[in-house]
Amino acid sequence: MNATADAARIAALDIRYGQVGLLQLKLRSTDPGAILDELTGKVATVPQFFRQTPICLDLAELAGEPDVAEMRGVIEAIRRCGMLVVGFAEGPASAALAKAMSLPVIAGFRPQNAAPRTVAAGVPTLAPAPAPAPPPQPLPALIHAQPVRSGQRIYARDRDLIVTASVGAAAEVMADGCVHIYGALRGRAMAGVRGDAGARVFTREFHAELVGVAGVFKVFEQLPADLAGQPVQAQLDGEELRFARLG
Amino acid sequence: MTEIIVVTSGKGGVGKTTTSASLSCGLARKGKKVAVIDFDIGLRNLDLIMGCERRVVFDFVNVIQGDCTLKQALIKDKRLETLYVLAASQTRDKDALTTEGVRKVLDELIADGFDYILCDSPAGIEKGAHLAMYFADRAVVVVNPEVSSVRDSDRILGLLASKTERAEKGNGGVKEHLLLTRYSPRRVAAGEMLSVADVKEILGLDVIGVIPESTDVLTASNAGTPVILNEDSDVSEAYTDAVERLLGTELPLRFVDEQKKGFFARMFGG
Repeated sequence: MNATADAARIAALDIRYGQVGLLQLKLRSTDPGAILDELTGKVATVPQFFRQTPICLDLAELAGEPDVAEMRGVIEAIRRCGMLVVGFAEGPASAALAKAMSLPVIAGFRPQNAAPRTVAAGVPTLAPAPAPAPPPQPLPALIHAQPVRSGQRIYARDRDLIVTASVGAAAEVMADGCVHIYGALRGRAMAGVRGDAGARVFTREFHAELVGVAGVFKVFEQLPADLAGQPVQAQLDGEELRFARLG
Repeated sequence: MTEIIVVTSGKGGVGKTTTSASLSCGLARKGKKVAVIDFDIGLRNLDLIMGCERRVVFDFVNVIQGDCTLKQALIKDKRLETLYVLAASQTRDKDALTTEGVRKVLDELIADGFDYILCDSPAGIEKGAHLAMYFADRAVVVVNPEVSSVRDSDRILGLLASKTERAEKGNGGVKEHLLLTRYSPRRVAAGEMLSVADVKEILGLDVIGVIPESTDVLTASNAGTPVILNEDSDVSEAYTDAVERLLGTELPLRFVDEQKKGFFARMFGG
């Protein structure tokens, strides 16, 4: 009874999404002899690495569209070297061929993911053409949780600055991006220090001595009554620095 | 002819900044063109005492490092036409001051026709204090009537006699004056405090002013008004006398003896 009850609870399968590393083989020729020659030489250098290794075929650099018979020859040559072709890399020529050969088209190969794997294996010729530099990833904001005391300076280079405490009189907080202050701002705050005119300064309690965005500054000798102690944001409007109550 | 006056003491908390603010106001009130410079890099206070802390955009270090011109950094006083403040930097450390940088700023002020440049020294005997006194023609040594302050002032007087440009070049040295602050005639009479005569004897210097202990000083500091501008106050009168003596007028010392309570004061508890 127990055995059947337990068995009933176990599903026949689980479907999970997961990422796996996969070697890509970029074909420049469909001649099985040439492929066999070149691959045999490479495999001989690191045989363990290539044994039963799944391969994704990239056809993007082939001159013409190969037919099914040609492709069977290629796949056989690769198999004889110990590797297994598991699919085609997404490309213009791949879809019909993949269907005819009952192989999947594997989409979404990001060059920066594939490159290190092949390079690490010591087979640079197998690697795809040098990947274009990945687009610059924005840095996460610099978070400062302590009060910024008089005389202290905090600078967040290439990113936003978030201060979760107060900024004291004659203290300075600066960022290339926006400056967010969740406490009181009694000192100086500068956003867009290296010229980003879209950067802003935010504070929950405005008592600032000086606020600047992208090199445009305003000194507060007297605090405007409608801003003093209020949640305020500062932004550039053309050449002018504007202050407005938040919320 | 510009005179550079350093206000110094060695010991902290004796009233250097209060004195710098009041003397510079007093001199400006006499029509002199005056600049007062805060040398206390990293712990600036003069701007608060002068009530211009919200107008500090550029400071002394910015001028030295060429981030701005001297004109941009000088803060014009709102009460007195001929008075200018040069604030210290709060965000740098004292190493930002250099002898050549200070010399350049002072030379520019001299060229600009200032009559007096007051250098408000930081406490201690390190770089800031050294540079504040280095180019001085005269020194006002602020001293409290108690032994540790007197000893520190003695040390400072030793430095004034050796570690200044005038001393090094043998140009007759720096002219030194003593200014007693927080003086309480009642406590002197009770033997709890050194007297003017005691301090004068220990330090061997003339006294340019005796400032009585008073709650007016704290009130004025918090209000951002130099106490000399506070009418009807003994402290204000005492500083006004000190300014006159700086300018060469001979005046008898006031506020050094315990006030004898008059008949009415005694009757009504004064």
